[in-house]
Amino acid sequence: MLFLTAFLIAMLATGRLAAQSATAASDAPAQGQVSPSSVEELERRLRELAARVKELESADESKAPQETAADGKSTVAPGEVAEAPTPPREQPSDVSQTGPISGYMDFHLNRPEHQDPQLDFHRFVLLFNHSFTDRIRFIGELELEHALVEGLEESGELELEQAYLDFRVNRAFNLRAGVLLTPVGIINERHEPPSFHGVERPFVDTFIIPTTWFDAGAGIHGTFGAAWHYRAYVMAPLDATRITAEEGLAEARQKGFLSNVRNIATTARLEYGGLPGLTLGTSFWRGESGFNFPREGARVGVVEFDGRYHTGPFAIRGEFAQIFIDGAEGLNDLLQRSTGVNANIAEQMRGFYIEPSWRPLPKLPFDTALFVRYENFDTQFRMPPGVLPLKQFDRAAWVVGASYFPDPDIALKIDYSVIRNQSSLFSSVDSLNVGLGWWF
Amino acid sequence: MARTRLVRRSSLVGAVLLVILAAPSGSSQDRRVIRLTAERFTFSPSQVKVTRGTVIEFRLRSEDTNHGFRIVGSDENLIIPKRGRGEATVIFKADTPGRYTFECSKMCGAGHSFMRGEIIVQDQEPQP
Repeated sequence: MLFLTAFLIAMLATGRLAAQSATAASDAPAQGQVSPSSVEELERRLRELAARVKELESADESKAPQETAADGKSTVAPGEVAEAPTPPREQPSDVSQTGPISGYMDFHLNRPEHQDPQLDFHRFVLLFNHSFTDRIRFIGELELEHALVEGLEESGELELEQAYLDFRVNRAFNLRAGVLLTPVGIINERHEPPSFHGVERPFVDTFIIPTTWFDAGAGIHGTFGAAWHYRAYVMAPLDATRITAEEGLAEARQKGFLSNVRNIATTARLEYGGLPGLTLGTSFWRGESGFNFPREGARVGVVEFDGRYHTGPFAIRGEFAQIFIDGAEGLNDLLQRSTGVNANIAEQMRGFYIEPSWRPLPKLPFDTALFVRYENFDTQFRMPPGVLPLKQFDRAAWVVGASYFPDPDIALKIDYSVIRNQSSLFSSVDSLNVGLGWWF
Repeated sequence: MARTRLVRRSSLVGAVLLVILAAPSGSSQDRRVIRLTAERFTFSPSQVKVTRGTVIEFRLRSEDTNHGFRIVGSDENLIIPKRGRGEATVIFKADTPGRYTFECSKMCGAGHSFMRGEIIVQDQEPQP
């Protein structure tokens, strides 16, 4: 449009100049010389046209997000917009150039103790968004795990982790429906690789909170007061028959795949961010999850608390989560009858972690963070009567590592994980991990 | 002598008038600087209350990636630089009472659509 306008103006100018030249030529003295007054008139008109083209260019640029350099200023009043200075085009820009698709990637090298190292392109995630209007938005998140999907065991996964419409009513009350992220814990809704330390996500956010936890649902969200954020959804429940002693709820997610909604689950999160650097959150999930054995039933509940704080080069975050399974005894009986093996599902599972970190060189453009994380996660925390806990699933881990950020959206990570369990028969496997993750 | 005195008095009156005219008038706009931090997936603070006539100078800084800052209903839409890359400034003239929503206009992660805030322009002084 801009080019078309500029082209038309240029053509018009050329035409007018040609006409002016012709007139000037016809009015010129016999020797073919152009009079000085005509030249001045032509120059004046050229200046006017150049100014008009510049004006149109400015108007066109103001419609797109302006790439504002440090300390760039922009002025806006209701119904009135002033121009923001844009950096000269020949200067290198620190602002990322992003197209209509965003996403993140996670590329890992894992070297478990006494085992061969593995290279794994763990996550390839694309995010899409579209605004129908200022009030109706679409967000989608499509994830390919482990680089390959072939439908066999040990293959990767292609998952639709988010696909919803947001109906924006006001700041305090908005509606959303589709495939949603369950709003439980720190990582489930905030899992871009540069936003957390460690090559792999925390164990608590794997074995206790089954990130990435998503399913079909609908609900409300908003912000009230200065800094209270909430979301509350109804979602498809878990399938209790797929809960395991080792991995907890991870396999029980229905993931929006023909999800059974004989009963629905409810979940909510409340977050406070009113003090600089501090975010406190709490969330719950509760749902009747025994639709595969309705006579017995199994109600699953999750309660979670978390906090994050950073000041200067120091940061700390922590999370606590506990799972309650009402009807675990009946669930174990059912699974033993159907498979012949005692599933050893606990009545309660529990996990927590704390992770201090330090950026020793915060003033440098390419900063580094050192961190240590202690985790405790027990998927056999409280057992039903008559069932003994499997001690190898009562685990603790120390993860020590560093993250190097050549760009705030790129993280080169290295860590060493030391895992211990309470069993005298089974030993856990430590591992050295290196990862490259990026957001764009 | 009398002429010199007259010139001095005239100069003094002129200087006083100049000072009075040059001084800011009582109806001039107040100016407030609001430091606003963007971090996945919140603006902090996410609510700003001012009285009508205030000129707000938003100084926008990110704790992580690029975020956008768009005031809904206006054409204003700019990028907040990434962590450690400085800040962006936008000046909002609060001339008309009402609620103005601002939001992140650049996809910043899975919770991008939560990133919103509002400016409340009131006729009266906002309650603390």
